[in-house]
Amino acid sequence: MEAMVKKYQQRFRKVREEMETWAHLQSLLISQFRMASSTILRLQVLQDSTNYGGGLNGVAHIQEAVLLKQMESLQKRLLSINNTMEQFHGTVLSLGRIHRDGRQMVKGGSSQLTVKQLQQRVGVKPSLADCVDGLMLLQDMHCSEYLLKSSLVSALSELTLKPSASDLGSLQQILIDQPNIPKEEVQFIFDIIFAEEIC
Amino acid sequence: MEALSPATPYTPKSTNPNPQTPTQSPSPLAASSARLWRPTAQRNLRNQWSKLASLRQQWESASSSGRAYATLLVNSYLSIKYMPSRELGVLSDMPDILKKASQKLLKQQELHRSKLLSSYKDMVSVVTNMVKTSRSMRCFVKGSSNSPLLQFSGYSECNNDPGDGGGIPVFTFWSISCFEKVAEELVHMLILELNLKRLLVVDLLSVSCKVPTANSLHWSEELYPGEFGDLSMCNLLSEETCKPVYPRLNGQKSDKPTIRRNHQQPDHDVLQVYLTTWRIEVNIDTHRVDEIFAEVGEEIHCRLS
Repeated sequence: MEAMVKKYQQRFRKVREEMETWAHLQSLLISQFRMASSTILRLQVLQDSTNYGGGLNGVAHIQEAVLLKQMESLQKRLLSINNTMEQFHGTVLSLGRIHRDGRQMVKGGSSQLTVKQLQQRVGVKPSLADCVDGLMLLQDMHCSEYLLKSSLVSALSELTLKPSASDLGSLQQILIDQPNIPKEEVQFIFDIIFAEEIC
Repeated sequence: MEALSPATPYTPKSTNPNPQTPTQSPSPLAASSARLWRPTAQRNLRNQWSKLASLRQQWESASSSGRAYATLLVNSYLSIKYMPSRELGVLSDMPDILKKASQKLLKQQELHRSKLLSSYKDMVSVVTNMVKTSRSMRCFVKGSSNSPLLQFSGYSECNNDPGDGGGIPVFTFWSISCFEKVAEELVHMLILELNLKRLLVVDLLSVSCKVPTANSLHWSEELYPGEFGDLSMCNLLSEETCKPVYPRLNGQKSDKPTIRRNHQQPDHDVLQVYLTTWRIEVNIDTHRVDEIFAEVGEEIHCRLS
């Protein structure tokens, strides 16, 4: 039993690594999202020809050229956001893999474990049920958060056509908050699994 | 000596180097002298192109520091503009606080103004150097061509030596004129962008607070002593009027601009358009520039980046 708990803890360490990747991707995505939304807002200003004041209005076709370049750079930014989203997807997939492997350990083995065995606790060590549930919860959180992020990203590209500063602001806030991954809950799971290390 | 005539309008896209058509040369070099000419010409081209590559980097850094100063200038201008409507809270009891703060901001603004101007000067010097470099691709026979000891130089001594080795490929495929064409295409983009940046500098420097006309600059004024000399080297000075030519975009004709000079102070959005225009460099096709350096680098067997 103890050996199995050890194996689970190993998996949780892997989950932690994946979550570090996630955090890195999260900060990347936030900055990409910020840049894209400021470009979108700027487009609004650039579309108004009265804003080409001073000497600029003497330069033929300047507005079209500026708009074209901005659109190009917006497109590049959206592409890099999509690229980041793909990496998020990769993280979600490997979390899923870790979770499935973990479930196999208790369900697929030759000896079926009883409920009692699953809930048995030795000292501060977690029970096997704690481990299985923990992996599932963490995987669930990240999967739902990934889906939320995908819809935020598609909302962003839709806003290109009719930009609004407040809408962009709220999208960004949701993106930063990551409502599906409550920090305390995550910490709680890890505290149970690695209780012996805390003591 | 003038190998190029940059005044003639041309569209860079259509002038892809075509190695199949070497330029007409009045005196093709003899086989032996071609053999001697080639290594010198190769060395020269490698030098000039790595110079162009480093100048391009210098342009980028000058342009980005110019943008930073332009942004600071705009910010301090806006701070001064909104000073009277600021909610100062407890500070409002202090005597002359508004006046003192504005004076301080004005001082800062003056500093950013001079920094912006010096970034512009850097950009001008980068472009003039590029023009010089792009005109030094040829390699001329020095002294008599009958002499057994051939020497080469960067300038022509006799009129019937075009300095292109009779149009033969210098490395593998490209003749001298092919290298010149792409160099000209590159420099042309930077010249147009420099001209547009000058316009932005003039407008940004004219941005001032209380007295709209006192600080105001005109397009036809020299921004620093000797500027017009530099501009004429870049073909940016009109020969008839001796004034800088008005900016145009790549592929556009420069017609007489109808400038509606409004003496209103520019608002936030107008300034944002200035800064955006500065940053995005409409005249420089970054993709094409990379392509040029990659193509040339491949031809001269030398990484240019």
